[in-house]
Parts: sequence; structure tokens; C-alpha cells
Amino acid sequence: MPVVDLDRISKSYSSKAAVRELSLRIEKGTMFGLLGPNGAGKTSTIRMMVGMTLPDSGTVRLFDEPFRRDMLARISYLPEERGLYKRMKVIDQLIFMGQLHGLEASTAKARARQWCERMEITESMEKKTQELSKGMQQKIQFIATLLHDPELIIMDEPSSGLDPVNVSLLEQTLLELKGKGRTILFSTHRMEQVEKLCDAICLVDQGRAVLEGTMRAVKSRYPRDRVVVEYEGDASFLTDPSITELRESPGRAEFKLRNGANGQALLESATRHARIFKFELVEPSLEEIFIRTVGGRADA
Amino acid sequence: MREVLLIARREYLERVQSRAFLMMTILFPLFIGLMVGGSFLAGKLSSGGKNIAIASNDPVLAREVAAEMQDASSRAKPPEVIAPAADAARATLNQRVEDKTLDGYLWLEKKPGSSMPDATFVSRSSGDVFSLGGMESALNHGIEREQLIHHGVSRAEIDAMTHQADIQTVQLRQGQLVPSNSLKSFFGAYAMMFLIYFTVVFYGMNVARSVVEEKTSRIFEVLLSTVRPQSLMAGKLLGVGAAGLTQMAIWLLLISAIVVTSAGALPGTAGLGGFGIHPQQLFFLVTYFLLGFFFYSAIAAAVGASVSSEQEIQQFSMVIVAPLTVGMVLITYITSNPTALPVVLLSLFPPCTPIVMFLRMSSQMPPAWEIALSMLLMLLFIWGAIWIASRIYRIGILMYGKRATLPEMLRWLRYS
Repeated sequence: MPVVDLDRISKSYSSKAAVRELSLRIEKGTMFGLLGPNGAGKTSTIRMMVGMTLPDSGTVRLFDEPFRRDMLARISYLPEERGLYKRMKVIDQLIFMGQLHGLEASTAKARARQWCERMEITESMEKKTQELSKGMQQKIQFIATLLHDPELIIMDEPSSGLDPVNVSLLEQTLLELKGKGRTILFSTHRMEQVEKLCDAICLVDQGRAVLEGTMRAVKSRYPRDRVVVEYEGDASFLTDPSITELRESPGRAEFKLRNGANGQALLESATRHARIFKFELVEPSLEEIFIRTVGGRADA
Repeated sequence: MREVLLIARREYLERVQSRAFLMMTILFPLFIGLMVGGSFLAGKLSSGGKNIAIASNDPVLAREVAAEMQDASSRAKPPEVIAPAADAARATLNQRVEDKTLDGYLWLEKKPGSSMPDATFVSRSSGDVFSLGGMESALNHGIEREQLIHHGVSRAEIDAMTHQADIQTVQLRQGQLVPSNSLKSFFGAYAMMFLIYFTVVFYGMNVARSVVEEKTSRIFEVLLSTVRPQSLMAGKLLGVGAAGLTQMAIWLLLISAIVVTSAGALPGTAGLGGFGIHPQQLFFLVTYFLLGFFFYSAIAAAVGASVSSEQEIQQFSMVIVAPLTVGMVLITYITSNPTALPVVLLSLFPPCTPIVMFLRMSSQMPPAWEIALSMLLMLLFIWGAIWIASRIYRIGILMYGKRATLPEMLRWLRYS
């Protein structure tokens, strides 16, 4: 059952088309990456998904039914541009957000406490938000979106402003939530994160879905034309005309084969010059796919 | 509804628990108290403590002028009467003024053959206009009385002849004669005007500021993913409104406590009852105040939603409350022509309703249907203003950094 099913949705503001006939499906219990350069229409798409705006055309279905506002109790949304009430105490803020999502004050308080322990910020619970660091505030916003135990979690750039330790804490939490059957959509510019976490992606450019599918399927559409070699000895095989975009470090080289070049022939030539420990035809990274697809327009 | 109350509660608590609220709640009545007390004290000092002497070669004249002066300022010390006074007394009096045992003396010298005395006031200071004016009127009255006495009229007869008349105003209401006081009506309308004006400028702008704050802190985007913008706006108005009303209630209680306790000390004001607001009027005062307050706050919220910084709100605040001044400018026309068509129409025009309708009521009770209609129209306008505000809020905040132009805002209203 798809938890999110967008069918050819479009949205224009004034004369600018933000989203054009975009379709995507997110299956239950998966982690989905919504990618694209700045201004591609990711946030506009998400806003339609949570009913903040309505599409000009096309349909939004959630949990296999047309969108209704009461579904919001089963969803959480962490926007990219997010804030907290500055003069409010952290714990009060969390209770308030929990209540807005339909929780009783006592339940919200108990869960807020658990989450604060989990995210290692118990000492800040009684502080006012304005006294906290940006990273700390990020964690509180993260907790606020999860208090009501939503089935669909939508996060726009969840890890911005976090240090590597906290990024990993966030990733672990998201993986655990996925393990419990929650569906997670996140939009980010951090390709390595998407590669590590997501089961499926959709790459949006100029309001259109230009690439969509499971990570496997997306990658398999691109030829394995990138080679990683680890060797000892004469490196002269690296001057072969079939090699391009060469990046070298001592004993290691990474390059791309020109269109139609034969990897097998190159390997033979290499073994004649040097001792080869590793010769691997690797699939392109998501970052490469992103850059290839979006081209020079991406300023992400 | 639950979300409206949750938001209202949060807005209310955030304001009521703030230090600024506490300061304003305490400092404002303190300030008023100091002003009232200060002017009371100043009045007492300027009129009460002066030692004045009245010297004349005509004892009747001196006594009558002294009595008039005593009547005119009830708190003043009775002037010392020196009569009949010879020229030699002047030197003694001058000496006493210089020694500061006397603040001044009025020298009245009656020349034979003339009914009017020559009057000279001698004092250390050059003399303030008010005490001089008071003295002149006391002197004239004293001379009149002295002349009448010389013509053989008794003091009782003079008192009866010079008694001042008062007009009692009575209003015919539903076949009953009710004592009225046009001054009190004016007072009620003015009070209404200031209550609304003041609270709109203070709390209405507070609503606008809190909308802008939510925009700049980007919390709205988190909120809008769970709450309808209309609920957000309504909750905000209720919460900020309740905070404003709490503060005003505290002030009114404090002020009436001050008025009641000082009623004895300040003659002419017998507590709040002295202002003659009867229960029916009080009901309409509260109702129209609330309607006016929410009306203008909803408009302020729309302004807050369409601007991007607090400074910009200031430019709008005066424009927003401008319709309130219409009632004030036309106050005499409205109270003397409460049933004229322009007045009726104005009282049904929601931005003007609270003041114009209240003014009409204070001079003549309008028909019940007009009152009902005016309230209904205001409720509709409030609902409309909240609707517009929430639309602008929802769309306007998605594009921040610049102020929306009017065509843009009209376009937003059409977006779904």
C-alpha cells in the first residue's frame, strides 16, 4: 500500500510554475529521498502533501485515500525553515506541539521526557529556547515532530545545523523508526546520506520528477563506467586513452572509462605493468547521477 | 475548536507571564495614581496654605469680601480682616509680608463720595492669574453685598437673591423619566473611545507583532502543518485579547479602588457611581468594546500577515484606528441628531459602530433591531477579517522578505 501517492500534481504561483505534473509513490515502511537543486519544487511538493496548499491540478492520496485534514494527526512535518517560540520553555513547547497533534498534556509530557533522554538534552528541558544553541534547537524541533508517533514522517533537511555526532544520532533514530514500520520522506542536499538511508528516491528538477524509483533501479539505469584500481608498481597504464576524469592518490586511482571503452582490455594492460590488488567497475554515486541529470543548473 | 483554545492559552500565558506585562500592570496605575495625587497635592498647596489679609477703612466691605473669598475656595484659610484700617496699618502689613508671616494683603480704600473702593493687592510674588481672578470676582461680589447692606437689605435676603440656579436634565425613556446628564453621556463615549483606541494601539498591535514574530521565527510553517490558519488567527486574537482584557480589568479594579477610597478627599466624585453608568449602558459598553477590540485586532493581524518587519506595523497603526476618530469628530452632531440618517448609517458601519452606536445610545436608545444589526454586522466583519488575515497569513508567509503589494494580496485571497 502506498502511504503517499501523488498523481500528476501541479502548482503555480503567479506566473511561475513551481511543480509540474509530478507523480510519485512512497511505499509503507520505506525511507524515501526527495532530491533536487534549490528551487526545484521540493518544498512546494511537500506543502501540497501536508495540505498547506492545494494542487492546481492532480490528486494527493495519503494512506490509500484522498487527502483529508484529519490525516494530519498521522503525519508529521519538519519544515526546512523551522522555528520555535523563543521565550517558551523547551518542555512547555514540546507539550504544546504534542497537544496540537492531538495528544493529552500528560501523554505529551511523558513522551517529551523520554525523547529528551533519548536525544541527550534532558538538561535543557527547563530552559527557554532562546538560551539554546542552534543544534540543540534542531533536536527539539525533531522531537516535536515525533511526539505523536506519526505513521508518515516528512523532514525537510533534517540534519542541517547538526554536528556529525548528532547527524548519526538522527540517522539511527530514523532507521529505528523505519524498522517499526514508519514511512519516512526526507528532502536533502546530502547525497551520501540519501545513499546510505533511502530505499527509493525522486529527483525533482524545474518542478518535474526527472528520476524516480528504488535506489537499485535508479543506479542500474546508469552504466558502470567508473573504475577504482588499487595497485603497486608502474602506473603508466593510467595514460591509456580510454581513461578520463582521473583522480590519483598513491597506490590508488579512480577514473571513468570513455564511452564504449573496454574495461577488460584495460585490466589486461594494467596487469602487465603493475601488481593489481583491486580493479572494480563501480556504479555511479548518487551525487554523480544528480549532477549528470540536473547538469550545470544545480547550485546545491 | 480545541486547537483554537490551545493556541489562545499559549498566547495568553506567554503574555501574562512576561515581565513586561507585570511591569505595565503595576506601573500604569502607579503612574495614574502619582498624576492624580500630584495634581491634588499641587492644588492643595497653591490654594490652601496662603495667609491673606484684607484691610479696609470700611469694616462691612472688608468682612463681605473676606466671606466671599472664603466661599470661593473652601479649603483656603479664612483671610484675616483688619478693619477699620488706618494708613499706619499699611507699614505694619508690609513688614509682615517681608517677614513672611503674611503671603499678601488686599488693601481696599473707600473714598468719600465714591461707591467703588480702590483695591491694591500687595504680595512678595508677582501674583498668579488664578488667585488674582478669584480675588477679583470675590471683591466684586463683596462690593455688591456691601452696597445692598448699606441700602438696608438683610443678609438672608441677599443670600436668597444671589443664589445660583441649576438646570436638571431629565431623559424620557420608554415612557419613563430618567435623570440624565449629558456630561456623563459624553464621559461614557469618551471613555469608550479611549478604551478602544488605547487597547487597539496596544494589544491590536501586539497581535500584529506576534504574527510578524511567527513569520520571522518561521514557527508558522511548523504550526500550519497541523493547524488551520483560521484557527491560528482566532486563537491568537482570543489569547492576546484575553491578556489585554486581564490587564485592563486589573487596572479598572485598581483605579476604581483609588477613586472609591479617595472619593471623600476629592469632592464631586462619589466613586464610579458618580459617573452615572447604569447597568444597561455598562452591558453595551462591554459588548461594543469587545466587538470593537476584536474587529480592530483582526485587521491588525491581517496587517501583521502582510508585512515582514515590526517597524512596518508602526506605519499602519495610525491608519487602522483612523475610523475611530470619525465618531469623536462628529460627537456633537451625533448626540444632538441621534436618529439622522447619516448617523444611523455610520452606526451600522462596523469600523465606526462601537463609538457611534454608543454615542447614539447615550443620547437616545436606538431601536432594538438596529442594535442587533450593528452587532451582527460587526461579527460578520470580524469573521471576514479573520478569514482574510488567515489567507494572507498562509500565503504571505510563504514568501517573506518583502512586503506584499495590494494586487499580490488580492491574488493570494483567490489562491486555495
